[in-house]
Amino acid sequence: MGTVKRLLLAAVLVSATQLGTLSSAVADDDNAAERASRWQVLQQALFPGRSLKDGAGIVQLDAPPRALDAALVPIGIELSAVKPIKSVYLVIDGNPSPLAGHFTFGPKADPHSLKLRVRVDQYTNMHAVAETQDGQLFVATKFVKASGGCSAPAGSDDTSALQDIGRMKLHLIGDFAPGKTEQAVLMVRHPNFNGMQMNQITRYYTPARFIRSIDVTYEGGSVFHLDSDISMSTDPVITFGFVPQAKGQMKVVVRDSKDITFDHSFEVPASQKVAGDSGTNPGA
Amino acid sequence: MRMLTALVLAVVLESTGAAALGAPGNAADANGAPEAKPASEGGKHASTADESAPEPSGYWTGPVNSPVPATLTGGTVISSAHRLRELLDQKDSVLVDVSNAPTRPDNMAPGAPWLPVPHRAIPGSVWIPGVGAGEIPAALDDFFRQKLATLTDNSPFRRVILYCHKTCWLSWNAAKRAISYGYQHVYWYRDGVEGWKAAGLPTAVIEPQATPGD
Repeated sequence: MGTVKRLLLAAVLVSATQLGTLSSAVADDDNAAERASRWQVLQQALFPGRSLKDGAGIVQLDAPPRALDAALVPIGIELSAVKPIKSVYLVIDGNPSPLAGHFTFGPKADPHSLKLRVRVDQYTNMHAVAETQDGQLFVATKFVKASGGCSAPAGSDDTSALQDIGRMKLHLIGDFAPGKTEQAVLMVRHPNFNGMQMNQITRYYTPARFIRSIDVTYEGGSVFHLDSDISMSTDPVITFGFVPQAKGQMKVVVRDSKDITFDHSFEVPASQKVAGDSGTNPGA
Repeated sequence: MRMLTALVLAVVLESTGAAALGAPGNAADANGAPEAKPASEGGKHASTADESAPEPSGYWTGPVNSPVPATLTGGTVISSAHRLRELLDQKDSVLVDVSNAPTRPDNMAPGAPWLPVPHRAIPGSVWIPGVGAGEIPAALDDFFRQKLATLTDNSPFRRVILYCHKTCWLSWNAAKRAISYGYQHVYWYRDGVEGWKAAGLPTAVIEPQATPGD
């Protein structure tokens, strides 16, 4: 363990020194070494006693090198079919609550692609950790430049942010064909207040209220279960894969930190199809 | 989306006549990237992180991570990490970091990991989170006043240096607050810990002071 860490640090030192001027090398070394040790701490805390293997060819993490909006950083996770995947963890090293989400795939999932949007508090490494059905862990890493996402306001007005809470939409991307993998985009209205955002009018901190879990089922079987946390963006948007039948029901259950549950069922494909919009809106 | 937010905010501010809240048009996102300006700004161009904002008449209550002034009325702006080090070498300075400290939400799942990144600061700093907000509760105001009195051995002539991050208003507000308490030599290190690090100077991991309301 200690040796591995030392080797890692040595590697970091070498690569940092090759980068150019002394001062930038010192700064990079400081940061890179710190990031490496941060990841060591997080691995111990999140995956105690388990070893993480290089995820090349198994899991891929896509994120913008520099995010335009730290409160809405788009993340993509691609999982290959080489090994059957049971679940995937998204870790944002620099966030105080580093485990942003843990997706557990069900029998109705096509677990090859996930997209979501997260908050990033400071320049950070991110890790996608894929857990295979046989319990192995594979990791992919990405460095993202963004900061301040945790305190960025969810909107100008908390009341209006809460007004539509729990409202959902579901879109299908691409041509719908029974028996063929389909990507679905789930949108949930929820401010996901993390307790670090200041109300722009009252100047008080808005109490935390965030989504703790999302369950998506299709025709009674699980597509995925997500344990989420305060690192998820306001109004989460999640893209995931599943294999539809000619006609079916997709049910979404969202539970938040106040133990309030929101649920909605969608016809897949939507019954009253409007050109260019396959989304379904809940009634009241 | 954010542009819409800014516009809505501007409209709300205008309709409530809350001009004292400062120019909403100075909003920049957390990356320091220029943000769309409300129409009320009269055609001025969007600001960037390196631009400086005018000093507000009171405390700044706008977005914390937005362009800060180049000046501090009643105090001195420290222009470089080198200059800050000179002042610190003179040993009679009180150095206060007023960066925010993350707080764990009450209703997180019991097993959810809460692991804030160790806070790196300029060595010798006392970390007092919260005292740089635009408005602070009376108890926190008293705490800050008392804390500074203790750190300065009750001398209004000791040098008090405040900082947080680059492009962060918290230390500007806190410095203004220290001036209001009667300190005669208040300094503001505008470049924050990022400026210090960029100069290749060492940092130290510190813990925050327990403040009222924690």
